[in-house]
Amino acid sequence: MSPSQTLPIKNTLAPADQAELASDVREAFEASSPLYPIGGGTSLDFGLPAKAQGTGLSLAKLNRVVDYPARDMTVTVEAGLAMQSLAELLATERQRLPIDVPLAGQATIGGVIATNWNGPRRYGQGAIRDHVIGISAVDGRGMPYKGGGRVVKNVAGYDFCKLLTGSLGTLGVITQVTLKLKPIPEQSVLMAACAADAAAAEKLLAALGRSETTPAAIELLAGPEWESHPSLAALDRAPPGRSYIVVSLEGTAPEVEYMIRQIEAEWRALGVAAPLVVGESAALWHGLIEFSAVGNSPLVLKANVVPSGVTAMAEAARALDPRCSIQAHAGNGTVFIKLATFPAQGLSRALVGKLQPVAAAHRGNLVVLANPSGAEMTHQSVWGGIDAPFDLMSAVKREFDPRDILNRGRFVYV
Amino acid sequence: MPTLPLSSIVTELREIVGPQNVLAAHSDLLVYECDGFTIEKNSPDVVVFPRDTTDVARIVKLCNRAGVPFLPRGAGTSLAGGCLPVGGGVMIVLTRMKRILEINLRDRYAVVEPGVVNVWLTNALKGTGFHYAPDPSSQGACTIGGNVATNSGGPHTLKYGVTVNHVLGVEAVLADGRVLQIGGPAEDPVGLDLVGAIVGSEGTLAIVTKVWVRLTRNPQGYRTMLGVFESIDDATNAISEIIGAGIVPAALELMDQGILVAVEAAFQFGFPLDAQAILLIEVDGLEAGLDQQRDQIIELCKKCHAREVRQANGEKERLKLWKSRKQAFGAIGRLSPSYCTQDGVVPRTKLPHILRKITEISARYGIRIVNVFHAGDGNIHPILLFDERDAQQVQQVLKASNEILDECLACGGSVTGEHGIGVEKIHFMHKMFTDGDLAAMKNLRIAFNPRNNLSPDKLLPTAGGCGMEQKRPGRRAAL
Repeated sequence: MSPSQTLPIKNTLAPADQAELASDVREAFEASSPLYPIGGGTSLDFGLPAKAQGTGLSLAKLNRVVDYPARDMTVTVEAGLAMQSLAELLATERQRLPIDVPLAGQATIGGVIATNWNGPRRYGQGAIRDHVIGISAVDGRGMPYKGGGRVVKNVAGYDFCKLLTGSLGTLGVITQVTLKLKPIPEQSVLMAACAADAAAAEKLLAALGRSETTPAAIELLAGPEWESHPSLAALDRAPPGRSYIVVSLEGTAPEVEYMIRQIEAEWRALGVAAPLVVGESAALWHGLIEFSAVGNSPLVLKANVVPSGVTAMAEAARALDPRCSIQAHAGNGTVFIKLATFPAQGLSRALVGKLQPVAAAHRGNLVVLANPSGAEMTHQSVWGGIDAPFDLMSAVKREFDPRDILNRGRFVYV
Repeated sequence: MPTLPLSSIVTELREIVGPQNVLAAHSDLLVYECDGFTIEKNSPDVVVFPRDTTDVARIVKLCNRAGVPFLPRGAGTSLAGGCLPVGGGVMIVLTRMKRILEINLRDRYAVVEPGVVNVWLTNALKGTGFHYAPDPSSQGACTIGGNVATNSGGPHTLKYGVTVNHVLGVEAVLADGRVLQIGGPAEDPVGLDLVGAIVGSEGTLAIVTKVWVRLTRNPQGYRTMLGVFESIDDATNAISEIIGAGIVPAALELMDQGILVAVEAAFQFGFPLDAQAILLIEVDGLEAGLDQQRDQIIELCKKCHAREVRQANGEKERLKLWKSRKQAFGAIGRLSPSYCTQDGVVPRTKLPHILRKITEISARYGIRIVNVFHAGDGNIHPILLFDERDAQQVQQVLKASNEILDECLACGGSVTGEHGIGVEKIHFMHKMFTDGDLAAMKNLRIAFNPRNNLSPDKLLPTAGGCGMEQKRPGRRAAL
């Protein structure tokens, strides 16, 4: 969907640089008129639906590479740069930002940071928050500010890199960032196993947490989308209710070779009859990265729980909708749930009544990632998070955006 | 202005925590007049040792009612005056809240009280296959609460990251006495990353009373090497080559000849005393990959004219090598009556430049400077040696220090990589940040600490003030 279909905007500004952007924000501040920052437009469904009529603020023209001192393993880019373009640039130096993002040709680095997006490799490589070392933004008055710098270690001043990661553009429009980079490993393969039920899956996941290997990703997959995935067809012999465990192994050739043998041994010792080496499967990787964005799911949810709660969360989702598809970054406790049908009892009863309590029992939360129907999108159903310190967050918001012009009404503030 | 007399405050504090947990006699307070930054000293009016979160909340509410400033303190090993009680007030020392509350290996976290000493957690995890990654050199003394306040680093942060990368959540008492849990054992709590804001805020946003830390799987193996170089330039070039080759060592430390002599006298490791610099390089991970990385590193060092590259033989030698490195600062007393450590950061490729500059500054001011630092991160710790009884030397040391840090900024770096701003570096904040940046930082502080009665006059320059005017450099231990 285009931004104008998702957001209540008539027009969209596209400033050419930070100074022009700051002046646009200043004007909006003076008029107390809401602004909706737009990166690649891939996550506009995330958060509460915007209600206040306002103006789009596109970062499309802020897409320059400011500085790439490859030997320092850092890069400074403007926020509107697409993830795919960034990856291509870094690959010329055999480097990467190990954050896997769907629709990378559209999604921008600023949007990835604003939404705190993390993919499968978070387990071995860390989250986006661990890679942002400098950040520039424009606050709700139109005042530019920055935090961090361009060096990999720095404790001068408050850490705006962390504060702005996941802030959904509500404390400032992110305009430029400096990122810490990693080398691209020599080899990368996937291995997969089938687990007959939740208990078997938890046994495998717990064992992976103590494995002699160092997986880059530990994924739990379940539901029709994976049962029909060609890369997993060779495993497809287990009963309904099964799930798949997929691990990503990265490193030098001897390291990867060792890990394949070791995982095989560890899995066989746990009763896995036929571990599958999927190899450098482009199709399966593509599936793992794009899962949350593809298809026509009427409701996409994201739970964040402790790793031992992943299988329980998946079971609860399947109890609600037996045809849902699930992908969990199981090593980190992130569970994506794509429902096949919109819950018949309504969003609030399904989430507040059923799934949020399961997430809370496993020390976490459950949020709505996308609900194209827009029905019942209340603070409680979208953000859950019963015990979250929303008061304090709102106090921070008031200081950075006193007239509430940045993404008004969409985030957690009360 | 205080609305209650000190005597009433002391009485009430005794009621809250018991008389054995309050210090108010002048002689008892002397210990608390500074941390590792000894230039400026000021006694708190009273020191209190809470036993639990409820105590902290009650103390904070009392301070608000009494109209007195208050601040938290851990073990006092910080190096920038972060726990200097500017303006006196109540110092809340958290060292008696020292329990490890939970270790959960399946979900890879531990919950600790702020007074837990960093190394206690490592010791408690022995044999589990997990460890807590941040390892500041002061880890035998510093507390995890203090590590959270300063976002501590350490040698192994090159690969594993600093404290903020390992804190999942905190329980905190806000400046008004409210108790909040922010984050917790699960990742990605809903809403703003307030944990990320609190870590490294040097005690100015909240008092942390409980910490959820991430546990890290132990590596299967290590290869620890000692590269011996005839010149500092060669050593710093080797660092650049290693990082540039896509190798991420677990640690990469440099010691120059000046510090080597002292360390060798103290620990008799067998360091070559005629070398101009040595690199302490450690790679860790899967055994299957370590020999290849080691060989590659040896080759790169040789390419940069290393005289030799030694390997640590076995775990015992490895630990001795690390002990020598981590306790290097303790050996400095052999070199000079006083010293002052700086904590600048430069992009890694600028290391040859900044070290040449330090040599030049050393010669120009007639101040001897030795170096031991986290080279892989570009985090330099030049140590300026002097005699604090000589007023002229003292002034030269201050000027030389400022010049080194100015050069770090000119290289696109920072004036602090891990020690913090505290009161020591407040006068650099205007050089690193614009008025807008500082205004935004002030806004964050106001949201948490609107009356500015929690750790006042730290981290940010106050309007019209210039922070501390430095008259004497400190003699102090360092990371």
